[in-house]
Order: sequence, then C-alpha cells, then structure tokens
Amino acid sequence: MQGLATDNAPSPNVVIPHFAYAAVSFMVFTILVVFSGSSFTGHFFQPDLLAITHMAALGWGTMIIFGALYQLIPVIFETALYSELLAKITFWLFGAGILFLVYAFWTAGFTTTLPWAAGIVFLALLLFIINVFLSIGKADKKNIKTMFIGAATLWLGLTALIGVLIAFNYKYNFFSQSHLLYLKMHAHMGLAGWFLLLIIGAAATLIPMFLISHQMNENKLKFSFYFTNGGLLLLTVDWLVYQGSHFLSVWGILIITGIIFFISYIRESYKKRLRKGLDVGMKHTMIAILSLIVPVALGLIATQPFIEIESQLLWKMIMLYGLSIFFIFITSIILGQTYKTLPFIVWLVKYKSLVGKAKTPLPKELYSEKLANLQLIIYLLAILTLVAGVVFANSLIVEAGGTLLLVTAVLYNINVFKIIYHRTNITIENKN
Amino acid sequence: MRSPEDIKAAESQVWYILKFVIDPEVEVNIVDMGLVYNVEYNGENKIDITMTLSTPACPIGDAIILNVKEVVLAEFKDHEVDVKLTFDPPWTPEMVSEEGKKILGM
Repeated sequence: MQGLATDNAPSPNVVIPHFAYAAVSFMVFTILVVFSGSSFTGHFFQPDLLAITHMAALGWGTMIIFGALYQLIPVIFETALYSELLAKITFWLFGAGILFLVYAFWTAGFTTTLPWAAGIVFLALLLFIINVFLSIGKADKKNIKTMFIGAATLWLGLTALIGVLIAFNYKYNFFSQSHLLYLKMHAHMGLAGWFLLLIIGAAATLIPMFLISHQMNENKLKFSFYFTNGGLLLLTVDWLVYQGSHFLSVWGILIITGIIFFISYIRESYKKRLRKGLDVGMKHTMIAILSLIVPVALGLIATQPFIEIESQLLWKMIMLYGLSIFFIFITSIILGQTYKTLPFIVWLVKYKSLVGKAKTPLPKELYSEKLANLQLIIYLLAILTLVAGVVFANSLIVEAGGTLLLVTAVLYNINVFKIIYHRTNITIENKN
Repeated sequence: MRSPEDIKAAESQVWYILKFVIDPEVEVNIVDMGLVYNVEYNGENKIDITMTLSTPACPIGDAIILNVKEVVLAEFKDHEVDVKLTFDPPWTPEMVSEEGKKILGM
C-alpha cells in the first residue's frame, strides 16, 4: 500500500515513553517556576532560570518532539525510522542527561557538574541526529517539509555543540569573547533553528491534515524556509566574526519575514479548512501560532539601532521574549498537538485489530474532553498572569501565574496518563 | 452468476454498509466524505472496492482500510473482499456529500 504511513510506523514503545517523560517534565518545570518567581523580574543569567529553561527546552519541548518525530518521520519522509534501538538508547541517555543538567544548573555547579552533564546531553542529541539523517538518507521523497526537519536537526546539533562548549568554558576558560555572546548564539540557534524550523515543518504537515485544507500554496513554505535559515545563518556568522555588526536588525528582519510566510501559510489552511469547528487541540495550536507575533514584535524593536532602551526595560523585553516563546509558542503547540496525536497512537495499538469486528471508541474518547477544555482556560489565565508579573516586575504575580501553570500541567498529566494507560473497552456487535 | 438486478442490489448494500465506517478524525463516514470511489461485485464471490484517503500521509489509513474489509466481510461471509487504495484522482473537498457537509458544518 504505497503512500500509507502506518506501514512504516515505529513501535509504540519507542514513541510513548517520550510523551510520558515530557508530561512529567512539564510539571517539574512549572513547579520550578513557582519556586523562583523573583528570578523573572531581573536579569536572565541566573542558575534557577537556566535550570527552568533547560527543563522546558529539553525535558518538555525536545523530548516530546523526539517522540512525535519518530512517529512523523514515516508520515513526512515516507520511510521507516532508521533504528528503533538507537531511538531507545537515545531516550535513556537523554532522559538521564537532562535530569543531571537541570540539577547542575539549579545547584550552580558551573565548573563541577555542568561540563559532565552537558557532555551526556550532547552525546544523546548526537545519536538522535545520526538516526534522523540516516532515515532521511533512506527516503525517496524529499520535499520542503523534509528540508525543514533536516535543517532543524542540523541547528539542534550546532545548538548542542555551542552549549557544550559554553559548559566546558566555565571550567577551562578558552573563549576569546564573553560567554554571553555564545549564549546568545546558543539560544537563537535553539529557538529559531531547532524549535521554530521543526515546528514549521511538522505544523505544515499536520495542521492542513487536521483541518482538511486542500490546494495549499507550498511556495509560502519555501520562502519561509529560505528567509528563516538565511537570516539565522547570517546572524550566526555576524556574531562569530563581528560580535554583532550594525546589520543585526537586517538578519532579524529576514527571520521575521520567514515567520510571516509561515503564519500566512497557516492562515490559508485555516481559511480553506473543511472542518469548521476547532477542537481543544486545534485551539491550543492556533493560540501558539498567533503568539509568534509577540517575539517577532519584541525582536523587531530590540534590534533597531536607533531605539535607545534602558537596561531595566531591555531585561523585561528579553524576559517577555523568552516567556512568549517557551511558555506560549512551544508549550501551547505541544499541549494542543498531544491531543491530536497521542490518542491516535494509543488507539491504533489498542483497536486496530478490532475495527469492523466490534464497536470501538473514537480516539478522542480516550481522554476527558472536559478536563482538556478546563486545562485550556486555566492555561490562558496562567499566561496572562505570568505576562502581568513580568511587566509589573512583581514576583508574587509571577508565582501566581506559575501556580496556575502548575494546575494546567496537573490536568494535562491526568489526561496524558489516562490515554497511555487506556484499557481496551469494547462491545462485540451481535449481528445475528 | 446472478442477474444484473441482484448485482446492483448487492452493490447498494455494500455502499450502505460502508456508511458505518467512520473516519475517526472528522467523525464523518467514508461514503459521505466521498472517499469511496467505486464498488464492484462480480456476481459470484468477489467484491472490489476502490477508495482513497483525504491525505496520502493519513496515519490511520490502514486502520480505515481494515475496517472497510471487516464490515463488508461481516455481511458477505464467503466472499473475497479486495480494497484498492488510489490517489488518482486525489480526494478534494468537492467530493463530500450534502449529508457530510452538514456534519462538517460546511
């Protein structure tokens, strides 16, 4: 059956542990936020913020993307994953590495534990990259979506490389420039290179599929690809060679143009959608896409050489920039897409052999929709409170926002584990 | 070999049965979604069904195909049911029936 992705689908025990690890990480990440409200009102380079960022970026964002990608590779590349064993080894190494890394940051072990932890995470990421590229190599079909995934994976490698260099620099001190310059590169490669490109590639496949939108203009994706990658490449070279020239804002605008082409593609999909009503998963997803406007606007203002911003305000802007990317864009799209993918993955395991023979539940009946809707409302309240906390530099409001986010995480975890531990429940139809 | 009327009646019955196969993502049955292109009964023991999916990347495609096979086999016990998947012509939203449009809110 040519073109059918399920023939190449990975074994569920490769995919599902990633969702479980990520869900728990999300909860740990929100608990850490509750305990460090005051750190959100000052400078960003603080041990607890670095711990929170890495818990969010790796334990939550990257871990779930790995799992989803193992499932998506057959869909997008039309080929099976290169090695399931390698994926399992990566999971354990990465899972342990993240915990060690977050611990190293939280305890400020910059010269002691951090280089080791960073080394383990780097090794795990390297294994993932090898697996993805060997899978792409096998694929006959290479299109714009595979290019996004391929490029994102390369940027992940570069992000990890710079990250591990920064960690070793704390111990051996070999950088010629301030470590903050490399930190900026590390952050932007990670956010715009890894997360943004990967999410664009995956969303460009999934969103029109879930909304059932046809005759999409793929050129928008091509423009998005070249602008985002081109801008990011020039930005990286600029920082490396000139430590930030006057052209920084131009590179920023290139990346932003790429993002706008992507938003326009999703808007087209939304307008052409066959399915009018949006379920909770798609609402979360659309909030994520819309939220991209916030970092785009902040980035645009911050890179204008003619605008003088006093340091207090600049810190706030950087904080909001990070907040909008991690807490809204990445978090909301994952919260939403979990409901669009995990129930199907588990449903296929439990019911594929029973379809047509018995009355099977719908994939969405594997979780509580009520809880998911409540989760969406509390999540929105959490975001508004967190933003207000940063804007008014009030740690109590940040902690209140963190608590609401923790409630969101608890509700999300209940649903995720309800899906994972779903028990087959059928009624055999009696036709006689 | 059955008469042309019998063949037609059997084919209509298959179309009717296929209405019980639901696309779990959109919750519309595959007939009203316009995914079933053709049903052919040879008058003896073979039923050929030609169908498509709304996207070639559909992750639950083979569960749907399996479902089609099972529901037809449940009614036509000693028959051979062959489900052929095609993407030519590709499915378009115009193929959704009036009934389907109502469910989708189009």
